Amino acid sequence: MTLLLRRVRPEQVRELTLVFILVAVVAFFATQIPNYLAWQTFTDISTGLAIIAVAAVGQTLVVLTRNIDLSIGSVVGLVAYFVGTLLAGTPGMPAPAAFGIAIAMGGALGAVNGVIVAFGRVPAVVATLGTLAIYRVALVELSGAKTVTTDSLPAWLLNLPRMSVVSLGQLDVRPLVLLALAVVIVFQLVLSYLPYGRRLFAIGSNPDAARVAGLPVERDVFVAFLLSGALAGLAGFLFLVRFGNITVVAGQGLELQVVAAVVVGGVNIFGGSGSIVGALAGATLINVLQQSLIRWPAVSAFAQDAILGLLILLAVASDKVILGRLRTIWVQARRRDEERAAATAAEQATHGA
Amino acid sequence: MALQAGEIHALLGENGAGKSTLIKIMTGVVQPDGGDVFVDGRQVRVGSALEAQALGIAAVYQEPMIFPDLSVAENIFISHRDRGRIVDRGAMRRDAEAVLDRLGVRLDVGEPARGLTVAAQQTVEIAKALSLRVRVLIMDEPTASLSAHEVRRLFGIVKALRGEGVAILFISHRMEDVFQIADRVTVLRDGRWISTRPRSEVTPASAIRDMVGRTMGDFFRRTPTRPGDVVLEVRGLAREGVFAGVSFTLRAGEVLGLAGLVGARRTDVGLALFGIAPADAGEVLVDSRPVTIRSPQDALRVGIAYTTEDRRQLGLVFPLSIAANVTLPTLRRYLSRFGLVRRAAEDAVAQGFKERLSIRAPSVRTAAGSLSGGNQQKVVLSKWLNTRPRVFILDEPTRGLDVGAKAEVHQIIDELAHDGIAVILISSELPEVLAMSDRILVMREGRQMAVFDSAEATQERVLAAAMGQLATPAVVV
Amino acid sequence: MARDIFRRLVRWEGLLLAILAVIVVVTGIAVPGYLNPQNQINLLELSIEKAIVVLAMTFVIVSGEIDLSIASVMGLSAVLVAWLKEQGVPVEVGIIAALLVGALCGLFNGYWVAVIGLPSLAVTLAGLIGYRGAALLLVGDRSIGGFPEWFNRLGQQPLLGPFPLALMVFAVLLVGATVLLQFSGFGRYAYVVGSSPEVARFSGVRVRRVKLAVFAMSGVVSAFAGVLLLARLGAVRGSTAEGFELDIITMVLLGGVSIFGGSGTMAGVILSILVVLNLRNGLALANATGNTQAGVIGALLILSVLVPNLVAAARSRLGRGGSAEAAVIPKLSDL
Repeated sequence: MTLLLRRVRPEQVRELTLVFILVAVVAFFATQIPNYLAWQTFTDISTGLAIIAVAAVGQTLVVLTRNIDLSIGSVVGLVAYFVGTLLAGTPGMPAPAAFGIAIAMGGALGAVNGVIVAFGRVPAVVATLGTLAIYRVALVELSGAKTVTTDSLPAWLLNLPRMSVVSLGQLDVRPLVLLALAVVIVFQLVLSYLPYGRRLFAIGSNPDAARVAGLPVERDVFVAFLLSGALAGLAGFLFLVRFGNITVVAGQGLELQVVAAVVVGGVNIFGGSGSIVGALAGATLINVLQQSLIRWPAVSAFAQDAILGLLILLAVASDKVILGRLRTIWVQARRRDEERAAATAAEQATHGA
Repeated sequence: MALQAGEIHALLGENGAGKSTLIKIMTGVVQPDGGDVFVDGRQVRVGSALEAQALGIAAVYQEPMIFPDLSVAENIFISHRDRGRIVDRGAMRRDAEAVLDRLGVRLDVGEPARGLTVAAQQTVEIAKALSLRVRVLIMDEPTASLSAHEVRRLFGIVKALRGEGVAILFISHRMEDVFQIADRVTVLRDGRWISTRPRSEVTPASAIRDMVGRTMGDFFRRTPTRPGDVVLEVRGLAREGVFAGVSFTLRAGEVLGLAGLVGARRTDVGLALFGIAPADAGEVLVDSRPVTIRSPQDALRVGIAYTTEDRRQLGLVFPLSIAANVTLPTLRRYLSRFGLVRRAAEDAVAQGFKERLSIRAPSVRTAAGSLSGGNQQKVVLSKWLNTRPRVFILDEPTRGLDVGAKAEVHQIIDELAHDGIAVILISSELPEVLAMSDRILVMREGRQMAVFDSAEATQERVLAAAMGQLATPAVVV
Repeated sequence: MARDIFRRLVRWEGLLLAILAVIVVVTGIAVPGYLNPQNQINLLELSIEKAIVVLAMTFVIVSGEIDLSIASVMGLSAVLVAWLKEQGVPVEVGIIAALLVGALCGLFNGYWVAVIGLPSLAVTLAGLIGYRGAALLLVGDRSIGGFPEWFNRLGQQPLLGPFPLALMVFAVLLVGATVLLQFSGFGRYAYVVGSSPEVARFSGVRVRRVKLAVFAMSGVVSAFAGVLLLARLGAVRGSTAEGFELDIITMVLLGGVSIFGGSGTMAGVILSILVVLNLRNGLALANATGNTQAGVIGALLILSVLVPNLVAAARSRLGRGGSAEAAVIPKLSDL
């Protein structure tokens, strides 16, 4: 056991636990809900998950730097509406253009957050609480309270969610899911292997030290917000594709779900630790619970939120209480090893002398 | 002043002499108003931390600036710009091990820095500087939180760096460090250069003279007191994995010095008696009655007060006024029947302390954060004196204070003893402990080694006890 | 320094006052009858529940924490009264139960934050979702109305002169909160805990107890505000008061209370409530939608922090003497 503990870092235990809980939850519902393990279930879950997962990737980048982006819901709504209107107005617009515009627009909105937080030194909660409201206004003004409707959208867009890129047996892998998966993989690699990714950990871990070490803290934080916005833009595009109907309240409250996913996924809300894969696991767990509870006759569908609230609390508490203990054990084991080594070395030295 | 390659240059000066500002200028944190900096004979402008790095100037601080969530290897290489676009973990590990090897240190480079000791964290910082091809290494009070063993190891590393041609600017309050390691000594006073001399021409007395600008007599002075009844008795106090077997008695008007090297766990004894990190075994008797201390509230109830060594973080609420800080532990006394703060009463008591301890501030409504270190310490002392303690634990009360302020604090300690307060003085400065204490309890790695009367205590005896009288263990390589 | 804090206070509160004056004067000229007391009362009445919770939230933020669950507690308490009424419990008893549940919700948040040491942002996010979930469990997607006559009258009719009950409750709580925060020992503890929790602990302050009390207060006050909201609306759904937390937090922060805790005054918060309400009303009269009003307030919130930061930055770039620190900390030699 101690050997294992020394091999695996507490943070990795965290992600493994999450996967374990996920499996347990699925196994539980399989016994409760008839036909639960049908491929259709997974197709449903994965499609619903894509939007949250993409946005959660961006949120992870920001949270790692000890900040938070609460404007995500409004960015998703605004981008979905804007691109929807654009496509309704110019039906001939090619798909990549619409896709690119969504990302660019999200990036621009994120950049505004980034400038205010990184260069204006406004606390992220304050800044993004403000832009949450402002971006929503932009949507309302833009729309004049009109709605983007499904029938105004081009056919390719509407078919996108039902299309399947690969069919593994009866599991249809939707393009939305593939896209989300690609985003997750790319950004996990960015965090693990690019200097920029490592700097995000450094900044969140100790901002003062980051400045003293000459890291471009402001620029990096700015870019994190920009990326978070761009990914929210992409999520907005997915939102449009999935729902088709976009009203002025599109995406409202999404930011809370995304923050919840990130927190459940073990990303430290005070920055410095966490991973994209963890955030994805968090988002998946939340989504599986939501989708399954609706179909679970034993409990009212309205119990969803109550259970979700408890889950978040459990996730955070286990992080603090259990991981804290694991970490202590781990550090102590290390220290004992070191001391033993030191003692032997000292002994050898005296013998040598 | 000039700094030569391959020399260890000590920088001395009182607080406020301008040492920190000098470091900030050299590392690009602040810009000078005038004057020039030359590196290798070329005039340079250090505009930012990055530019300092490029010039080969690096600093190691008393509190290491590490990233707790990153691994040792990543901490070393985080600010490198030349390691390619993709992080090659394997290469980074190897390089990190190579750098640490040069320092003669072995650490698990994959381990997060969170679990490292302060000494190991400092080593990581030095390794970082080394990996950046450092030419000028500034060390700001690097020994302040190290044990003797760790200090020796650090000095070994510093000498090795000197051998590689690195110029080292070594800043320390500890005179013995300076005399042990420096090649030359520069003294600053009031932001001005005073002198630079080879170590052989400097004595502690001459250095102090240069620092204060006047000859210092014996500035530790105790007036004799007659100890009263036993106030505090401690039997076999222990805290699992921290310290054990601490026993002593303390009379009213007595000063008990707690001596020991860093890592001796003296502060932990103080924290246990004050209930911050309670003891889990042993007995504490106040006025011969056993008491249980599980929280600071318990300690205050039985009349134990404690001033922390970390004044900045733990001593004062900086934005609050002096008066509000003074009454913080005893706020209940200043509340009206409806729970409102009686400002007039609060101001009056603070005013009393301001005069008694001569706290230099415009008024008691002045924010505590705007005071100088010495005056802040006096506010801290006032705050605890106002609890009317029977036992007063002072943890490093003069750390970071300049000579004048130190003398004032010593004066206050002497007065406390006269007022019949039992004082426990924890200090890393041996001369201070020797001069101020009636008895000295020596600790080593959580164990009580000896108790000396002031008459029989000498630096040598205390130090021998503190080091366990063992042959000094060899540096672990 | 004391003078400096005073000056800054005057600057911040003065700024809010100036903004308030501009809004009132402009709308007063543009809209006849705007300054009519009855109009002002109506205006206040429409957001009075939020204003009440703002008072409690000020304590939470001053003590260095945040409570995102307030709106959900408001909804839960309103739903609970309605649900109990359906089960045949008198409304009076239901109200007491709601207040108790509110206190429990607050203590539950406080337990995880103060005793276990979890970040309040995460804990109360769980509360936001969980307490709302509890409300939904009780009523599902139904709407419950049909409350006794006296209850509705309390919420909808003036009680004394032109003043409805909620407004009078607010006035009383406002005075109480001001005294509690600025003049009482508890208020002093709240500042200390928010400013430097470790110093507080080392000074024998019962940090946990202070934080628990602050969260419990937040819960009770939110529950009470939820009951008042129920009385005013006369009916409740699972989604009642949804999203109020953002408005409430905005009002506190706009009042000059630092999100990092330890600073801010009740005077600023009151001015900020008035600014927000008048601004909303003025904008509404100018035919702006509720969302637009929220947007303008959001912009104001950002600017309120951004502008002083930019001014300080510009000043320190301009000259040596102008650096923020140099201005705040007097030199000892000057004394």
